[in-house]
Amino acid sequence: MLNQYLILSAVLFSIGTLGVFVRRNLITILLSIEIMLNAVNLTFVAAGRAYGAVDGQIIVFFVMTVAAAEAAVGLAIVIALFRHRASLDPDAFTSLKW
Amino acid sequence: MTPILVAQIVLLLFVFFMLLNSAAIMVYVERKVAALLQQRMGPTLVGPRGLLQPLADVIKLMFKEELRPKAADAFLFTLAPIISVTAAFAAFAVVPFGAETTFFGLLPHPISLQVADVNVAVLVIFAVASMGVYGIVLAGWSSNSKYSLLGGLRSSAQMISYELSYGLALGAVLLLGNSMSLTDLVNAQAGAWFGILPRWYIFLQPVGFAIFFIAGIAETNRAPFDFPEAEQELVAGYHTEYSSMRFSMFFMAEYINMVTVSAVATDLFLGGWHGPWLPLSLGWIWFLAKVGFLLFFYVWMRWTLPRYRYDQLMDFGWKVLLPIAVINLLATAAGVLYFAA
Amino acid sequence: MLPDQILFYVLGALAVGASLLVIGQKNPIHSVLWLIASFAGLSGLYILLDAPFVAVIQIIIYAGAIMVLFLFVVMLLNAGHEDTGEDEARPVSVHRSAIRFGALLSGVLVVELVWALVSAGTLGGVFGSTATLPPAVSSVRTIGRALFTDYAFAFEVTSILILVAMVGAVVLARREATHPAQATDTGARLPGPAEPALRVEVGDEQAERVF
Repeated sequence: MLNQYLILSAVLFSIGTLGVFVRRNLITILLSIEIMLNAVNLTFVAAGRAYGAVDGQIIVFFVMTVAAAEAAVGLAIVIALFRHRASLDPDAFTSLKW
Repeated sequence: MTPILVAQIVLLLFVFFMLLNSAAIMVYVERKVAALLQQRMGPTLVGPRGLLQPLADVIKLMFKEELRPKAADAFLFTLAPIISVTAAFAAFAVVPFGAETTFFGLLPHPISLQVADVNVAVLVIFAVASMGVYGIVLAGWSSNSKYSLLGGLRSSAQMISYELSYGLALGAVLLLGNSMSLTDLVNAQAGAWFGILPRWYIFLQPVGFAIFFIAGIAETNRAPFDFPEAEQELVAGYHTEYSSMRFSMFFMAEYINMVTVSAVATDLFLGGWHGPWLPLSLGWIWFLAKVGFLLFFYVWMRWTLPRYRYDQLMDFGWKVLLPIAVINLLATAAGVLYFAA
Repeated sequence: MLPDQILFYVLGALAVGASLLVIGQKNPIHSVLWLIASFAGLSGLYILLDAPFVAVIQIIIYAGAIMVLFLFVVMLLNAGHEDTGEDEARPVSVHRSAIRFGALLSGVLVVELVWALVSAGTLGGVFGSTATLPPAVSSVRTIGRALFTDYAFAFEVTSILILVAMVGAVVLARREATHPAQATDTGARLPGPAEPALRVEVGDEQAERVF
């Protein structure tokens, strides 16, 4: 009965990977990573519900903290890169030195 | 349909209608109090003592032309005021405003006077408040105008910064009341100490109340923290490009947010519908009186205090209010542990 | 169908549809907004899973804080136009085929995952069973107790993570000082982990306007 939640989260996770593969905008790539993290969160909550345990929801709490930290640092990097290249295309940052 | 369901629906419509009205009443009160503080008369022409002025304002707003800048993002430009006003209405849904009642025996069992009784009500209010930011940010961005954008950026920075202190002040009350349901928190404030002093949390949490209310003023973007619409520098901030009903939705959202913050402050710190002299069934009179006082205070502040400078506002939020809120929370936790042991 | 089932499909469709729109938008601002819609759908699913606390913090933290941060950065970079694909450094065809391969990989991933999960469901076990679920653990009290006892160490480590992220974001987003006055002005006003970039930008804005 809870299997459907896992399938949904698998679909969401794949959408996230699709975004990372297909898009060429750093912001959208970061957003796709958020989609993946959320898919994993859904799995944790569904599993916690299936086992009647509280741990699933606690892990979600930690994942959210990590997501916040990741977003803050990731966006700071995006801003620093944008200042140098005025572009958000990840391929614009392939040179090791400028 | 069971009587309970009918009562719930009637209650919902009643709250919706009263919130709409409260915006209109607040417009009148705002103008009259401003006039009082500046030794003017205020509106006098429309109706007795100018009482029908809000109606005239509404009619005027409805008949104005609906403008949209050519370069605006059409969809978001329309969506932004809707988000604002929806968030404002939604936040009030979990706020209880009176003791449980059977409506003179019409109902088989008493229901509490609120639209939805949620056991994490405090968090829901917080969540809905954080959604309100989007209305303003999107309005600022989608207008495609520099004043709007600056106003939108300022207001969202301000709301996010003050949300932290707001949340920490709430946290201290949750520790005292040991619950997240607003109804439980209000009921924990019934009775009196030594027979005279009401057991309101404001007497245990004076600092918490001050932080909560200051952060509440900043959250609702009211003076002295009204940077998003600082007329002298930003024309009208995020709603510069808005007119007619779209503008009035922002207007309404601002006043309804004020009512919500005052109602939540009343429930959390001022004992909600508990008070001396009146029986519990008439507690809503106390509730209205307290909310009315806080709203008056809001208007009073606006017409008395000058606006801060933007960097002062940020400094105050992060370097003064937030540390005090953290210390207050820690002190409350220590006190609860000490007295519970 | 049970109301829960209908709600599951509605909310699930919202989450999937909005997520697809996130990666399908040209304008990053629209992407951010669709992601918020997707979070709203997930938040509803958490309520269906008897986890109201997670549902609410999903809205407060994800939609209310992290997404506002994204929105800020997009607005400040003013990068509403990009992704056109013209890049003189490298032929477009290589790039196109790389993208196709990536899309194929994620298509394979979804087939694989769904197949694995469906077959795991038919094998039995706690997820596939239609038997009654164990009682839900949803009270904030229980979550808090577990968080501050069993998971106390992880919780403390998290605070260090946040601190490091905050310092890192401040350092990364800091603009090289052009003159001393501006340096102290922007440096002193970097408050929290939530919006490092914003503070710099707004601070500069203010510096230009005030001085």
